[in-house]
Amino acid sequence: MIKLSRNIVTTQLQLFLFAAFLLFVFKIFFGSPESIYLKVVLDIIIAATVFFLLLALIRFENSRPIAPLSLVLNVGILLAIMFFIILFSDYLMPSIFDNINLKLNNPGLVYNIVSVTYVLVMLAFVSFFLLTLRHFFFLNQGRDIKVYFNTMLVFFVLASLSINFFWEESVSFLSTTFFVVSVLLMVFNSIRISWIAFLSKKEKIYLLLLSFVITTLFIVNITNSSGDNIYSKILGAFSPSVKQFNQIIMIYGSIYFMILFFTTLFHLPTAEAYDRKAQEVTSLQYFSKLITEVLDFNDLAETVTDIAQKLSGSKAAWIIWKEGDKQNILAAKNIGFVESDKLTKQIFERINFEKLTSTKTFNLKDKIVDGSSENLFSVVSVSPIKTRGETQGTLVAAKGSGEIFTQDDLSAIETFSDYASVALENSRLLEESIEKERLEKELDVAREIQRKILPTKLPQYPGLQIASVFIPAFEVGGDYYDFFKINESKLGFVIADVSGKGISAAFIMAEVKGIFESLSKTIEKPKEILIKANDILKEALDSKSFVSAAYGYFDLIQRKLVFARAGHCPLFLLRDGDSKQIRPSGLGLGLSEKDYFEKTLEEYSIDLNKNDTIVLYTDGVTEAKNELLEDFGDKHFLRVLQSSVNLNAEELSNKIIKEITVFSSSHEQYDDITLVIFKWQQ
Amino acid sequence: MAEFSTTIKERGDISIINLKGFLDAHTAPTLETNFTQLINDNKYKIVVNFEDLAYISSAGLGVFMAYIESIRDNKGDIKLTNMSDKVFNIFDLLGFPLLYEIYKNEDEAVKKFSGS
Repeated sequence: MIKLSRNIVTTQLQLFLFAAFLLFVFKIFFGSPESIYLKVVLDIIIAATVFFLLLALIRFENSRPIAPLSLVLNVGILLAIMFFIILFSDYLMPSIFDNINLKLNNPGLVYNIVSVTYVLVMLAFVSFFLLTLRHFFFLNQGRDIKVYFNTMLVFFVLASLSINFFWEESVSFLSTTFFVVSVLLMVFNSIRISWIAFLSKKEKIYLLLLSFVITTLFIVNITNSSGDNIYSKILGAFSPSVKQFNQIIMIYGSIYFMILFFTTLFHLPTAEAYDRKAQEVTSLQYFSKLITEVLDFNDLAETVTDIAQKLSGSKAAWIIWKEGDKQNILAAKNIGFVESDKLTKQIFERINFEKLTSTKTFNLKDKIVDGSSENLFSVVSVSPIKTRGETQGTLVAAKGSGEIFTQDDLSAIETFSDYASVALENSRLLEESIEKERLEKELDVAREIQRKILPTKLPQYPGLQIASVFIPAFEVGGDYYDFFKINESKLGFVIADVSGKGISAAFIMAEVKGIFESLSKTIEKPKEILIKANDILKEALDSKSFVSAAYGYFDLIQRKLVFARAGHCPLFLLRDGDSKQIRPSGLGLGLSEKDYFEKTLEEYSIDLNKNDTIVLYTDGVTEAKNELLEDFGDKHFLRVLQSSVNLNAEELSNKIIKEITVFSSSHEQYDDITLVIFKWQQ
Repeated sequence: MAEFSTTIKERGDISIINLKGFLDAHTAPTLETNFTQLINDNKYKIVVNFEDLAYISSAGLGVFMAYIESIRDNKGDIKLTNMSDKVFNIFDLLGFPLLYEIYKNEDEAVKKFSGS
């Protein structure tokens, strides 16, 4: 598209250059013609030149949009340059022409080049002014108004030409008429200046100064050019139409900028209020867009305070948010957290946070200085931020001494706090749901790890019945159990419970499995294994974490069970209808240094009789709760065991689980339930 | 959401923390803040009273493990008192009586501090 425009521009430029060349040629041959026909030809060529120049400039302007104020500045600069050219023409041009006459053999040619160039430069200036005025005419105008401007242009041309051709007294009224109509049309078209409404107050002041200077320069240039100076002479000698055309455009410029000046002046008192209104609209637009976007809750709170401060024309704004019992400053604009806290305390002496239903304003008793900029806050507006029907927060805006919150301010803030409530609620809900999803995903991973770690099948050993039950809690509880085939006649086992829950517990579980798997391959004695395990875990775990574990092995040849308990639940032994707890001394893993751990760890040996049943479990069993929040407990457990003497391992495990399930049916399972039962059959 | 709160009082140069409610992973930070504060104030003689504690989880036990070393390094201690049977059993199973001095009542613990 740009390339195409450039081509078109090039075409227009070529046409312009061609016309300029024609002009130059004409001037060489005919100088300043007397004959009316030649005058017509000259004016036609000039008109064509100007026309192509205008077209080229229009195309160029369309490809690069410029801000109106920059355009105005450009006009000012060019006017100033023109002013100086006209001024210095009187000094420079005569000496240049003298030099030409004296030094050159063919002064006519160079003279023509110089005068054509001079005129073209002036025409260029004037074309630029015309185009700028045209740009402003069409700026921010909705309807099709081309006809007004083009009609005016027609009269400009008529007025310019008529000076040349209707100089006779009988028809000179025509040129005057055309001129007058042109001026009237200038005034009529100059009232299209609504574009200044969209400028900020600062920009309006800038425009005021510029338009004053520009109007002055236009008027000065007009008076200069109607005098008897070189500029006037050169232009007049070239073609009276051109001179008149220049004048007309300058008059148009001065009228336009004078009207601009006075209108801007009268706009100034309302400029600030206008800015505020415009700001209000853009803020609300911006903010409604934000509501639909995903935003971090704290970022959103910052944006809310920012907009609230601008919207109400306040010095500062902040949000108070309820977290549990306390109220915190969530975000603050133009005020420190300490000062806003002090002011908040004052505010809550006056109003009840929860009962606030609409925006209120009142004066502060003790004015607080904002340390950084010596601001004194003397009046505040307080608006509720409601989420899910409850007032969750408060939006406060503060103004300084002598200021007040107008009705307009209050209604703007009231509307805005409704918007803000919705946005903040959405953000919170979104954050909550993201968090929830993250936790669920984590738990999925934890469960997967747990599933992979636990044994998938029970080992088969002659004369030893084995049963196991594992019921995970929703939030992975860290239980672990495993079997190790030491050799054909020795079966090792471990049961453990990692402190904590969730994915961190799952990771530690995996580590514990690795430790026991490798240690059980090289070490037989349970006490030794646990000592080594404690060494490793004391180092590997953080100070808050620990693992309760019990490790042991069944010796089928020697018919005994050897085990040690490192902080884990006691083992139950069911023998001859009697059930008892076996609880050798031992610290949990990861709690103490090697020496002390070794000293306090007891290894225990049981010679096994036929039908002896060994029950291992984790605290998920004994701490299962009923509707009265009572624990299942050791005693209840022992009773169940005692009443199940003749059951095999599998049946016993089912029975225990059934009891637990019935007991805690009304309560959600809080911890993993692990049960491992061995029944000795030899 | 289970409730948990602590209150701290002074008996001479000994700080007594009273636990009330349910101490688990969610409420543990409250107790952690207390310990951090006491350590900052160079108060290393601490007695924790479990009279009003309904429940403690492994996360709650972990809190004590996190601070005990630095407190003992500063010639102080954390002594535990007034545990219900249920709570004591939780500590006992893990072998905590081997690591901490656990007393039936607060006065015994306070006396022990003055004695040492």
